[in-house]
Amino acid sequence: MNNWVIQTQDVHKGFKGKQVLLGVDLNVPHGSVVGLLGKNGAGKTTLIKCLLGLFRLDDGEITLLGEDPWTLSAAAKERLGYVPQEVSLYPWMKVQQVVAYTGAFYPRWNKALIERLIKEWELDPDAKVSPLSVGERQKLAILLALGHEPELLVLDEPAASLDPVARREFLRAILEITSDRARTVLFSTHITSDLERVADRVAILKDGKIIYHDELGRLKDSVKRLQISAASPLPTSLNIPGTLRCEVDGQEALVSVRDLNDQVVDGIRERWNATVQVRDLNLEDIFLEMHHV
Amino acid sequence: MIHNRTSFQFDVAPSSGVPIYRQLMDQVQAEVSGGRLRPGDLLPSVREVARRLQINPMTVSKAYSKLETLGVVELVRGQGMRVCAPVAWGAVHERQTQLRPLLEQAVARAYQLALTKAQVWAVLAPLLEDLDDE
Repeated sequence: MNNWVIQTQDVHKGFKGKQVLLGVDLNVPHGSVVGLLGKNGAGKTTLIKCLLGLFRLDDGEITLLGEDPWTLSAAAKERLGYVPQEVSLYPWMKVQQVVAYTGAFYPRWNKALIERLIKEWELDPDAKVSPLSVGERQKLAILLALGHEPELLVLDEPAASLDPVARREFLRAILEITSDRARTVLFSTHITSDLERVADRVAILKDGKIIYHDELGRLKDSVKRLQISAASPLPTSLNIPGTLRCEVDGQEALVSVRDLNDQVVDGIRERWNATVQVRDLNLEDIFLEMHHV
Repeated sequence: MIHNRTSFQFDVAPSSGVPIYRQLMDQVQAEVSGGRLRPGDLLPSVREVARRLQINPMTVSKAYSKLETLGVVELVRGQGMRVCAPVAWGAVHERQTQLRPLLEQAVARAYQLALTKAQVWAVLAPLLEDLDDE
């Protein structure tokens, strides 16, 4: 069987003269939880809609669950769960009616799971949908996407309007459904702390491309900030390989690098007769460093 | 032989710059060297740790398999990860390389604190007393 749930090759997509995706390559392995990270307007939603066949590509190629997403079969759709950023439900229905209505479309529907989650997430089954808050509606939409226990769950900014308690419950549900490693989750976010807990991989979308995609642990292992203190004034450009940001102030310098290794540090020590301290960066720091202009 | 699963509990800070798998590794190694985890003790299962800390199970697996590679724990079929008796793994210079970054940090701090070599040595020497001389 193919090891990739999603394969994306050189995807281009634009709208009326504005190019959003400029050659996206992103392969999502089976059983992983991938966080798609990007600034507002980076194109996360556009990419997700391309992946799901909701937008037609300008150029490039996508394989979703082994098929072309534009002509996705009903069988593949059964294996797919999707929660869009803007949730539109049926405002006149009650929560339990929406659940029953949605469940009726699927041959496989885990009623027990949904009933349990409704309780845990403190949704009132008899409440009408229309007066629900944005957060409650988002919870409901996530529930509906979990009911058929999809192999691939795609969530566009799922936690954006959830309060911290609901967010933690949501993350727990994600971990719960992925604990057997049979399922794959791709979720977009700009909230790095959500990602740090549940994601095992992170993909960063910037300037229309995926500029980084790897294990989260490896990202934190390789992107570091160097605090350099030299014996004599440093040049304004240090030419350190993989520099993301460099600030030189006399004999002192702060340099953020990707792919740090011992040779880089030793090289700096010898070249400028400097002491070098290596600082760890968390995901938010790394994200900011990667967006430094 | 039946081993007790320890009541050992991990604690992680997901938003730290230290990857979660490394935090888990560090904690096991600290507990082993501090004698609170003893050879033969079993670490809590991957599932249990992931559920309790609400983190991705893959992260826990990664920490455990790295600890296994380092020879800190070993996989016992049907039981889980068992703490190994301390053995010297790797050549001396490799083990020295592992120690070096920690000492570098200490030296850098000593420099900031304006301590002399002799003053640093006065702090370090008593700490070394428990080590073997051979």
